[in-house]
Amino acid sequence: MSGNRLRFLVVSSLAALTLVVAACGGNDNSSSTSSKTAAAAPAGGTPDTTAGKKGGKLTMLASSDVDYLDPGHTYYTAGEQVDGAMGRTLYTIGPKDPTKTIPDLADGEPQISADKKTVTVKLKTGVKFSPPVNRAVTSKDIKYAFERFFSVNVGGQYASYFPVEGAPKSPTKGVKPISGITTPDDQTIVFKLQDAVAVSFAAALVMPITTPVPEEYAKPFDAKNPSTYNTHVVASGPYMVKNDAKGNLVGYKAGKSIDLVRNPNWDPKTDDRPAYLDEIFIQTNASDANVSAKQVIAGQNMILDTNPPANVLKDLVTNIKDQYTQVPSGGFRWFPINTTIKPFDNINVRKAILAGFDRNAARLARGGKFTGDLPTHFLPPEFPGFAEAGGFDGPGFDFLSKKNESGDPALAASYMKKAGYPSGKYTGNEEFLMVTANADPGKAQAEVAAAQFEKLGFKMKLRLVPQDSTYTEWCQVPAKKVAVCGAAGWFKDFIDPQSMLEPTFAGYTIAKDGGNNNLPQLNDPKVDAAMKSAALLEGAARNKAWGEIDKMITADAPAIPFVWDKTTLVRSKNVVGVANPYLALWDFTYSSIK
Amino acid sequence: MSTGSPETLLESEPVDVTDESAAEIAARSPLELFWGRLRRDKVALIALSIVAIMVFIGIFGPLIVKIFGLPNPNTQNANLLDDFGSPTGPTSAHPFGVDERGRDVLSRVIYGARISLEVAFISTFLIVLLGVVLGMIAGYYRGIVDTGLSRIMDLMLAFPVLVLAVGIGVACVQGCLGGALQPGLTVVIFVIVLTSWPYMARIIRGQVLSLREREFVEASRSLGAPDRRIIFREILPNLVAPIIVYSTVLVPQNILYEAALSFLGVGVDPSKPSWGAMISDATSVFQDAWWFMTFPGLALLITVLAFNIVGDGLQDALNPRTSK
Amino acid sequence: MAAYIVRRLLWTVLLLLVITAITFLIFYVLPSGDPAKLRAGRAPSADTLAAIRNQLGLDKPLYQQYGEYVWNIVRHFDFGNSYTNNQEVRTLVFSRLPNTIFLVLGAATIWFISGVIIGTVSAVARGSFWDRLLMGGALVAISAPVYWMGLVSLYLFSDDIGKFKILPGSGAYQTAHGLIDKGHALIMPWLVLAAAFAAIYARLLRSNLLETLSEDYIRTARAKGLSERRVVLRHGLRSAITPIVTVLGLDIGILMGGAILTETVFNIDGVGRLSFDAIQRGDLATIQGTTIVLAAGVAIMSLVVDILYAFLDPRVRY
Repeated sequence: MSGNRLRFLVVSSLAALTLVVAACGGNDNSSSTSSKTAAAAPAGGTPDTTAGKKGGKLTMLASSDVDYLDPGHTYYTAGEQVDGAMGRTLYTIGPKDPTKTIPDLADGEPQISADKKTVTVKLKTGVKFSPPVNRAVTSKDIKYAFERFFSVNVGGQYASYFPVEGAPKSPTKGVKPISGITTPDDQTIVFKLQDAVAVSFAAALVMPITTPVPEEYAKPFDAKNPSTYNTHVVASGPYMVKNDAKGNLVGYKAGKSIDLVRNPNWDPKTDDRPAYLDEIFIQTNASDANVSAKQVIAGQNMILDTNPPANVLKDLVTNIKDQYTQVPSGGFRWFPINTTIKPFDNINVRKAILAGFDRNAARLARGGKFTGDLPTHFLPPEFPGFAEAGGFDGPGFDFLSKKNESGDPALAASYMKKAGYPSGKYTGNEEFLMVTANADPGKAQAEVAAAQFEKLGFKMKLRLVPQDSTYTEWCQVPAKKVAVCGAAGWFKDFIDPQSMLEPTFAGYTIAKDGGNNNLPQLNDPKVDAAMKSAALLEGAARNKAWGEIDKMITADAPAIPFVWDKTTLVRSKNVVGVANPYLALWDFTYSSIK
Repeated sequence: MSTGSPETLLESEPVDVTDESAAEIAARSPLELFWGRLRRDKVALIALSIVAIMVFIGIFGPLIVKIFGLPNPNTQNANLLDDFGSPTGPTSAHPFGVDERGRDVLSRVIYGARISLEVAFISTFLIVLLGVVLGMIAGYYRGIVDTGLSRIMDLMLAFPVLVLAVGIGVACVQGCLGGALQPGLTVVIFVIVLTSWPYMARIIRGQVLSLREREFVEASRSLGAPDRRIIFREILPNLVAPIIVYSTVLVPQNILYEAALSFLGVGVDPSKPSWGAMISDATSVFQDAWWFMTFPGLALLITVLAFNIVGDGLQDALNPRTSK
Repeated sequence: MAAYIVRRLLWTVLLLLVITAITFLIFYVLPSGDPAKLRAGRAPSADTLAAIRNQLGLDKPLYQQYGEYVWNIVRHFDFGNSYTNNQEVRTLVFSRLPNTIFLVLGAATIWFISGVIIGTVSAVARGSFWDRLLMGGALVAISAPVYWMGLVSLYLFSDDIGKFKILPGSGAYQTAHGLIDKGHALIMPWLVLAAAFAAIYARLLRSNLLETLSEDYIRTARAKGLSERRVVLRHGLRSAITPIVTVLGLDIGILMGGAILTETVFNIDGVGRLSFDAIQRGDLATIQGTTIVLAAGVAIMSLVVDILYAFLDPRVRY
């Protein structure tokens, strides 16, 4: 699976696991890219989105099933890709400008109050639910979607993005009303927030939680535990999973296939998306990406769900050339250094590690330069704040620059000397715990990283654990005293620099009891203060402020960022593929067949 | 073995050490007979020398690597990878090519011998120990002890072995049994022993059951010899032959078992090169980097084959009735 | 006989209960990861985790969880829902079971037939060049790790990446439609999986047959002037094959849970893979479901074998 987003889970568990061994070389993300995406992207990259031919059936070969179809439950890109074609979220990110959030179900920009505690959204008229509901979408359907999200039956997975007043602190049994969400009329929804976080809240309204769910229809399903709405999802977008008169999704065969057909109630006048295709068939058990990639390349009317394996990528880049598109995954992969463990609490030791680190070798472990650019800071390309933090050249620190991509031993030694190790190497005898996933590419990159630490004299103890628990049981648990997390990545959930840097580096977000995403446990009061004030800003000022914060964090050398990931999307020759920059996956609603 | 686990092999191996012949051999001078027969078996002798070489490599691997001027098995070299991170093939500097970290495959194969043999010998020893003790207890005392132990063995038989193995391997990532089981070598050995001892125990139990009814045991018992004496003086010597034969089956099985566990990602410490783990790593690139999967695989095949041939030879030498 | 079968069935049920109890202990007391955390998503609070534990019933005492689990199976044949995607475990397991059965039975047919033929030829031609060649080959097949054989065969013979594009390769089974296509896609996995077993069976049969052929009644048959072919096939093979049928049954049962490696190398969505993936994800419900089904496979096969044995070998009485 390609860039699963903010979900720190990094090596997307669902897909990667079904591929534990075979052809997994770079399944997860051995995507390709050359620097300066758009410029170097091959022909057939992003074509004119208005010139597609209507009709046809597109088949996607997918290595694994969606996590959930229920928009309130899904938190993986595969699920959101299908939900994106089926449901309409309040806002979205279109293929034209990946850095901009645009209205979808909403009619115009969100209105943010001066105190940054209220967000008001107007809805378009004329949007209708698919059969069997067949009625117009109203603001109450959004309200219900939020309320059900907070129930344990549905199991929404990112509640912390939506601190609405009256939202339950822990998942409710059954769906409970939320007082902070009001619907003055059918076309208006108002969110009252607990804190002054309206700017990032508004940015998060692209997430699938904002897909309307009709209460009268969904209620009986949501009453079950777990909710069975997952197999009865009703559509509001151009496509729907084939269903029967009662709403049963007969087109969804778990672990086998998903059949998307046109939603007869969809009105193109209400939607920017062209929706050229008549049908999208997703085969979700094409578990050998190697075989699937080759079938897609040689065949007709097909796309691949994820990055092709290394050998296919090589073929694509060197021979085939015009059957792939690359899109930034919108995130960074990094080796966080635990700043609470001696001697990593010493900033010069950390700078020495960064200076001597062969980031190029780490990237090679994921598939080399075609998988993404070498970072010089954290905010990724095509993301607000990226340019403000120095773009590809970075903020200009010698220990993390274009000059030491393969490591600079002399520079590293000089920082070690500054840190009080006259030999230029660490002289302690203790072992440092490094934890990573027991499958590639997590294992591969951690092996490289361990070798880099050992060059400077650190003795590393590399521990391999099951992919899914790498985070929940180790890296995110400060008590486990993991010195270096070997398989970390942080990917966007929506377009907002705050969501990239605050959970990962703010001292006030450190969660000692677990679930901690500030993996380096960086606790720099200057950074924290800057974040608090930047959180209130909007527009260009916001991007500038977070760009500056990115520089401040980079100066603290809390982690080794080693790739700004890109996803390589593969298609058959006769497919006009358009990438969705939000998910870094193919977009069903823009792609067409020649 | 699909499972790489010993169960099927152990069950199926035609080990025909019948009690008569075992007793017979034990009664005469076993070593003499045995060497005489083994010496005539040319193939077994060749295999035995291969085993000896492997053991030598296992012990002196680091020295050999140094003498031949090979890189350290854990030295990574990104310069030996292409733009896509794919390894490069055999050259004079790296006769077996390099892996996807740019590590020398030859020196890793050499170091891998140690892991394989270490795991195989230690776990075989423990299986034999556990199997013999419990098998003898069950066979000798019969009754409720036997029923209990036999039921446990049945249970182990019905348990999906690899599920159990992978489960324990995964569960013990943080250390198990109060920290006694640390991830890596100890967990691997624990899993192998836990899932393999019942087979050994069953065989021993069967042997003991028939031995304890034999005249010489009866005689000893009627003379009032204590159980301890009967077990150690009368029965145990007669078990030597089957124990040897089964050990020779177990060693190659355990080599494969370790490799299978490593292949599934619950193997030894990643910093220690294991043949199984190498094949597992090679899976993702095998179509372009044939050398990476080929050499560790051949090392495994040759070693296991040599042990199997030696085992066959020993078996024939101990039990001439089944020999050609 | 009937009483024996009933007794065996009862024992089988007890066995399954104990196996599930042990699985419970291993995976619930020592989980690789907290299932609640794995389900909770981004930055969950302690309350959220508690609510999810409650939803999954993980906050109840272990014996109660176990009791309810068993009760649900008995009453509704309900194995619960997967922790990772809410799918019914029953559906997950039983939709994959046919793949595993197809793989194992196909391979078993191959290895049984070829094992018997090779073993017989070897025994009859004892000491000859052919005997040595076949037995030598068998030893090699036993000594090679199955996943390695799988990779090597894919490298050499698969029709996508192979040097000699002869057979459908890895992943072909997943995309194949219809029984014939699927069977075609399974040829390579069948052969790879069957190789080692065929070798074992050949060795076993050879040695059984040699022993049988030296028995008195065979000598009598020969003395009566029966043709050698008739002696070997009618008299020798018949009794030499009986113990092998026993082993066959057990091997099939065990392989239902042990074909993980073959399933992995060839990308076949079988039960073994399902359980392996579930273990990695800490999906306790699915681990339980697969373990029970796999253990039941072994238990049932061994029952079948014992009953079959009684028919094959008239000396056995219960």
